[in-house]
Amino acid sequence: MTSELTVGQCWSDVADVLDAGLRRVLLYGPPGTGKTFAALKLGLTKGISERLVCTEDLTSAEITGTWMPAGAGKWQWREGPAIRAWRNNAGRGGRLVVDEVDRASGDALSTLLAVTDSTESARWRNPETGQWVKPGPDFSVVMTTNSEDLDDISPALRDRFPVAIRIDRPHPHAVAVLSDDLKGPALNGSVGDVDRRVSLRSFYAFDQLRARLEPERAARLIFGEHAAQAILDALAIGALE
Amino acid sequence: MTAAVFPEFVLGRLDGFEQGPWRIETGTTSRGGASCNLSERVLRVPLTTDDVARVVRAHELMHIRVSPFHREHVPLELDVSDRALECAEEFRVNYLLGQLGFDVSLLHDGTERLGAQRLAAGGQWDEAVCFFLAVIGTGGESDYLRGLRSAQATWPSALRALKKKVLSVVSQLDAAHIGGTDLTEEGFPRGFLHVTLPIARLVSRSMSAVGPVDPESLRTFRRSLEPGARRPPSGSFAPLVFDTSVDYVVRTRRGAHRRARPATCGTAMRYPSRLLTDPLQRAFAHKATVPGGVIVIDQSGSMDVTVDELDALLHNAPAALIVGYSHRPGDTGRTPNVWILARNGRIATSVRSGNVGNGVDGPVLRWALRAASAREPVVWVTDGQVTDSNDHPCHNLSVECARLVHEHRIHMVRSLRDVRGALRGRRASADSFGRVGRELPGIRGL
Repeated sequence: MTSELTVGQCWSDVADVLDAGLRRVLLYGPPGTGKTFAALKLGLTKGISERLVCTEDLTSAEITGTWMPAGAGKWQWREGPAIRAWRNNAGRGGRLVVDEVDRASGDALSTLLAVTDSTESARWRNPETGQWVKPGPDFSVVMTTNSEDLDDISPALRDRFPVAIRIDRPHPHAVAVLSDDLKGPALNGSVGDVDRRVSLRSFYAFDQLRARLEPERAARLIFGEHAAQAILDALAIGALE
Repeated sequence: MTAAVFPEFVLGRLDGFEQGPWRIETGTTSRGGASCNLSERVLRVPLTTDDVARVVRAHELMHIRVSPFHREHVPLELDVSDRALECAEEFRVNYLLGQLGFDVSLLHDGTERLGAQRLAAGGQWDEAVCFFLAVIGTGGESDYLRGLRSAQATWPSALRALKKKVLSVVSQLDAAHIGGTDLTEEGFPRGFLHVTLPIARLVSRSMSAVGPVDPESLRTFRRSLEPGARRPPSGSFAPLVFDTSVDYVVRTRRGAHRRARPATCGTAMRYPSRLLTDPLQRAFAHKATVPGGVIVIDQSGSMDVTVDELDALLHNAPAALIVGYSHRPGDTGRTPNVWILARNGRIATSVRSGNVGNGVDGPVLRWALRAASAREPVVWVTDGQVTDSNDHPCHNLSVECARLVHEHRIHMVRSLRDVRGALRGRRASADSFGRVGRELPGIRGL
């Protein structure tokens, strides 16, 4: 295993911040580095994470919940991922992952402001039962964005996340399933200029496809005509043995 | 449409090189049009989509994979020049590319033949050797040798002999060994130490030779490539490398070295007590003229100059600029070959011994002539056995030195004991000065 597979500084920062008990973390940086994967898994000892993917069309109903038909002319309130995350782990609170947070707008943004507020300040009233709900003490939120400019995020929302860590390379665990010759390049796939970045997902697909097809063809299908030969050349030279 | 290049994906080094983002600059496929800066991670490569550009990019990527990134990882050997290391590394990179299946025959830019013709016409044998290393195995090799043959018929044969030796270094090793970057016990990358360095030794030795011009010199050159063989004649002096590590102290001016002497007349009565004590009543001070000049001392092995003799000279010629010289045969400029022993009233605290060879007789004499003031004598302590940078006697260099001696009236003396006399104008016979002495009558007769 070469030295390139050591954990990068960014991932050490993420682990240390979560270990220290900080429960609001923003991860940003180039795509394909495993930010979402890490947000869903890192620092969690039990329970599952709830996930929101923000778009311009995201509404508050998709965050906190919505009325759903329950049959026989009745309606039932179904809680959204944010409230479920508040209640997870038997009320102790779980993890809410908010992806592509720079795209949130309108009422979704105002709802996000409410649900990501501090545990002491945040509360929400269940419209069905009238009960006030507060986040559990272990509730945590990890937001992710591909934007390199944090000004793209609403200042109020940004203020709720005192720690922002730029993730510039995948976590070594994320490449564990790849063939040995692809692990290093996959970790470095996002460190170059924007037009030379190759996402982790592409490496997963290439590794899978080249098991069935010739490498040249697999590379062409995955990386495109433009980059395939150059990537294969670099891999061949790197794998000199 | 431009081609892509992914230097960040070239991994696998074991010497501590830290991969990171690279800056890509647009280069060309012509010689010198691409480069790889490992310390600042800047890659300059052609970004066209043709096959030649692809191999040029692969060449630079191979540098990223195998070439040392730190000066400390490059073993410094006195006999190996930086230029030879560069050329040997180019060969290693091209050889590895060939091993990986890249078509290195595409590596030629059409300038090889003309470049070779110019080198051969200009007699630039050392550059011809370097250039050859860079084209071995590439598509430009044949053109290059043809170009050389047009002006130097024997050079291609000599270079083929060199190629055979170079290939024998890599033929027994696999690609992993040739490109190995794991550090040896000495702290150097394995492939560089076991491939680039031995080839650079061969190249350095070949570069320092005089280009073979006839069958006899070709045989001499071929013999010099054998393990343990004597270096070939270089036919030229080495450049001067001054020793800057010498410490100096101010010379004490007492006894015989006093510049003021008692005199019977003058303008300032400096020694009034002598009116009573000196029978000649030398009460005035008179500034004595101390013999100056430049003394050039050959400290090669044949001279057998002892440290005690030099020490005595430093005190007996107080106004002289004294310089010692001796070149280490085959040295590429890493070992000082000239050292100033006394200058401007300061003398060296210790006298260093020589480096066996002569090697710089001509350059040091020229330097001495420049350093001498008007009408100051230049004294050359020598046995007249002038040698080239590889310590071979050389007729042309002997003539060169003899001309300097004749034209600038340089005083030649055999030993340090004769220096004082020479500073006062005494001349020795040319008969006792070896090759230079033998050339002098002919030059004087011109």
